[in-house]
Amino acid sequence: MSEHHIECIVNGEAVSVQRVPARRLLSDFLRDDLHLTGTKRGCETGICGACSVRVDGEVVKSCLMLAVQVRGRAVQTVEGLAQGDQLHPLQDSFMQCGGLQCGYCTPGFLMAACAMLETDPNPSAEAVRHGLNGNLCRCTGYTQIVESVLDAAEKMRHGN
Amino acid sequence: MREFDLLEPATVAEASRMLAALGDDARFFAGGTALMLGMRQRMLAPTHLVSLAGIEAMRGITFDAVQGLRIGALARHADVAASPLVRRHFPVLASMAARVANPQVRNQGTVGGNLCYGDPSTDPPGCLLALDARVVLGSARGERELPLEAFLVDFFQTALEPDELLVEIRVPPMATGSAGVYTRFLRTAAEHRPLASVALVARRDGLLCREARIAVGASTPVATRVRRAEAFLEGRSMNADAVREAAAIVAADIDPVADARGDGAFRRRMVQVVAGRTIAELFGIDIDMEDTEGARA
Repeated sequence: MSEHHIECIVNGEAVSVQRVPARRLLSDFLRDDLHLTGTKRGCETGICGACSVRVDGEVVKSCLMLAVQVRGRAVQTVEGLAQGDQLHPLQDSFMQCGGLQCGYCTPGFLMAACAMLETDPNPSAEAVRHGLNGNLCRCTGYTQIVESVLDAAEKMRHGN
Repeated sequence: MREFDLLEPATVAEASRMLAALGDDARFFAGGTALMLGMRQRMLAPTHLVSLAGIEAMRGITFDAVQGLRIGALARHADVAASPLVRRHFPVLASMAARVANPQVRNQGTVGGNLCYGDPSTDPPGCLLALDARVVLGSARGERELPLEAFLVDFFQTALEPDELLVEIRVPPMATGSAGVYTRFLRTAAEHRPLASVALVARRDGLLCREARIAVGASTPVATRVRRAEAFLEGRSMNADAVREAAAIVAADIDPVADARGDGAFRRRMVQVVAGRTIAELFGIDIDMEDTEGARA
């Protein structure tokens, strides 16, 4: 079994881990090697999106990706959203609008929504639903998640 | 997932030699979205993965007015959807790519990987068939070019030799007056894989259809062109009745799959509805396919 040296940027900080087995999934690398447990393992079959993170700004499912695939790239997890004590507008809106109940899917939704709002800062409700169709939530029925994202989009457009 | 060694060739020839030497113990690895699932479910347990990520010759999307479009096999669905060249010259292809699965998979999965996996329940094969695409296969022995129709052999089966890899996809330029429509049907909005799809590329003068290629995907073991429907459309002045008749031919001529998502009769009827909507949209004809006889579920 081959082992690899992984050097990448995670939430703005340089990371270097020696002897990572080729079969290590990105989700396991983040949680077990880097102890960033905000990223959740849900279905682990590419369906639920709870493991969504951003790689070079794009949202991906970290259970469908090997850790070796992020060598030389920049990864952002939910731990990288807040600036110190200042929550990201999406995090704030999910709290204000009731965009979560159990919260297990929330990190994945936040990362997918964050990537979506960068390419489409003023989405319609329909566009939000379409942009989040790689993520499942079994609690909220989605309505409040869509409201949360629209609320955050408005705050972000007004420079908050 | 079982242990494996990761190999990282830099050229097509090097990758081909690795696969030839390792045989069935090795698999090529591009985006990984399908392969990771197969390995985690232990349907596949390769001892070696040959990563194609370092092969620059398999990247990029280019367009030439004579040669047409060249899509490197490593282009991801998101790359195809966002490419200004694809959007301008092949809007139907960009529109299809923007609907594949979900944003995450579009950012990870590659067009080449999609075609090589041979899974019929996906969007690209049918759309590319209607666009008359060809594929370039490479190995240490050289290159060969095949029509996509000859590459897609059967259910999860392609024309790839054991030492070959898909290097690029070529799409000829669309003739003046041509347009394309791709329509997919999902049982629920949450499904990521189409239950039925129809792609139509036609050259027309107003309502007169001069040339047509129509392909069904997702409801057949392999994406399939429907030649009798193409012959019916070509030279015909289109109206609502002609749309219904053409859709009925498409539905009659396919060999539908039956599985947990739908039996053969249901899929045939959904293909008929989707075919009618596709043809009607391309010619700008207003029609309610759900009223069509035989299309009621």
